[in-house]
Amino acid sequence: MMSDPLSKIPDGMRYYFGKEARLRRSIEDTVMQVFAGWSYEEIITPAVDYLALFERGMGRDEAHRAFLFTDRDGRLLALRPDVTSSVARAAATLFAKQERPLRFCYAAPVFRQQTQSRAEWRRESTQLGCEFIGAGGGQADMEVLVIATEIFERLELSGDYRITINSVEIFNGISERLALAPEAREKMRHLIDIRDAAELQRFLSRYETDENDCRAFTRLTQLPGKRKLLDDARRVITNERSVAAINALEELWSIIEELNLVEHFEIDFGDVSGLDYYTGLTFKIYAKGAGSRVGAGGRYDLLTANFGKTEPAIGFMLELDALTDVLLRRERGGMLAANSDLDATMITGNETAPLLMKAKERRQRNERVRIDLKRREP
Amino acid sequence: MAKLTIAFAKGRMQTEALALMERAGIGMSEDARNSRRLAVEDESGSYRFIFVKPSDVPVYVEHGTADCGIVGRDVLMESNADLLQPLDLRISCCRIAVAACAGAIPSELGALRVATKYPRIAAAHFGARGIPVEIIELAGSVELAPVLGLADAIVDVVETGRTLSENGLDIVEVIANSTGRLVVNRASYQLEAEAVSRLINALKGVLKEDESL
Repeated sequence: MMSDPLSKIPDGMRYYFGKEARLRRSIEDTVMQVFAGWSYEEIITPAVDYLALFERGMGRDEAHRAFLFTDRDGRLLALRPDVTSSVARAAATLFAKQERPLRFCYAAPVFRQQTQSRAEWRRESTQLGCEFIGAGGGQADMEVLVIATEIFERLELSGDYRITINSVEIFNGISERLALAPEAREKMRHLIDIRDAAELQRFLSRYETDENDCRAFTRLTQLPGKRKLLDDARRVITNERSVAAINALEELWSIIEELNLVEHFEIDFGDVSGLDYYTGLTFKIYAKGAGSRVGAGGRYDLLTANFGKTEPAIGFMLELDALTDVLLRRERGGMLAANSDLDATMITGNETAPLLMKAKERRQRNERVRIDLKRREP
Repeated sequence: MAKLTIAFAKGRMQTEALALMERAGIGMSEDARNSRRLAVEDESGSYRFIFVKPSDVPVYVEHGTADCGIVGRDVLMESNADLLQPLDLRISCCRIAVAACAGAIPSELGALRVATKYPRIAAAHFGARGIPVEIIELAGSVELAPVLGLADAIVDVVETGRTLSENGLDIVEVIANSTGRLVVNRASYQLEAEAVSRLINALKGVLKEDESL
């Protein structure tokens, strides 16, 4: 058997260099500065942790996408597939006694051995995110949404992104009212998720006798919309749990209107992924030029309970790789990625010590230097 | 409004899909129809049509290179792509079925050798039934495999069943019905919502006409 040459890189892994590496660094700095500007403290979580942590934090299926290995005592370890699980644990343990709310941010690579879709080639990707722990309600929800909008403004993408918002409680209320078994619930979730209107209507008609209600609900989940969608929803959805969620979304939408951010937001009742993780508001962030979402987030009030302290929490993360791809394809990417070595001062000379002395002096004035080897005479 | 790119599966479904688009008011000029270019604009200039191999349609749409696509459910099931599927276009109806030589009952065998162009569908189908299978992946003329003894059964799409019967094969079990579907990229669905819903409504209108016939 022929052994693999050392030149081969494992699937889904890659190098970053030159313009792309500079752009990545610059985006990361921009995003982390916005987080810092809103008083979010950087937290660096372990790259390797127990699989059990991620199973609690992300659900079994998601956690098992991770690269797994065994510790000396036989316990299963995972290469961090997400950051939130670890932050939630720290909040409930390390920071249990600290005054609330806690505001954390991070920039960290995460790893998945099994990617979710074929379009997602990378198995290592960098997430930039923030977590706001110990604060509930619309104000906390809106704080992180406003931070997200500031990030896109600073990345000069203000005209080219969209944040869709929904509440998982709308779906939960409906599936509770229809008394769906777990399998049927997952089926309904899937049909809403892929927007298969005809199949969804057929599915609902098995549980709901009024055909008009089935059609109206199906229509609600088809396309994103603005305030009118909330009014439409009220006419169709009457169960208490869902109505409370619609009220919360409406409260949020009013703030979005007051802040003049309506053009960047859509309400999308069809966004029903990640139901097990989130407990209220969920949102997805899309940017022109990226084939899939560039960010996602939501409220996860039950997550910290897994680690012994129940408290409200909300957060989101952005995919640095997706943002870099979007910006790299634009002229603006060039600006952000400037700083090439073209504008460095060339230092020449024959004697090593004086040459380096000259370079050191320039460095003290914070100039960029580049020592020229070619022009050195024999 | 941005121009939407629609990927069409070349071959069997292409004619029916283009006829449906034409009826929805999205037509191609005579020139474009007769050309061999793989990317053409529609007459209104609001759409770009691209023509690719059926199994490549989910790839283009999942990456967002095409915003939408028209492709069979069989291809979607096999690709397992993460796409939105808002419309069943009810074109190119067929069945994905297990077939075997007439008279031979393959379920009596401990492990089944299955020849197919759809390894993922076949594995999922027999896996769910707890039947161990050896999948033999072929690129075409799958019906020949049981006849020559390469496999005990096949998993393939069946339209009229004529190819099967002419080769002495019978349908053992229908796995799923397949029709042409409109698929949409997740990001395009949000960022080009207006253009996408205009396309969906135009196609829905045509489907409704058919229903009332």
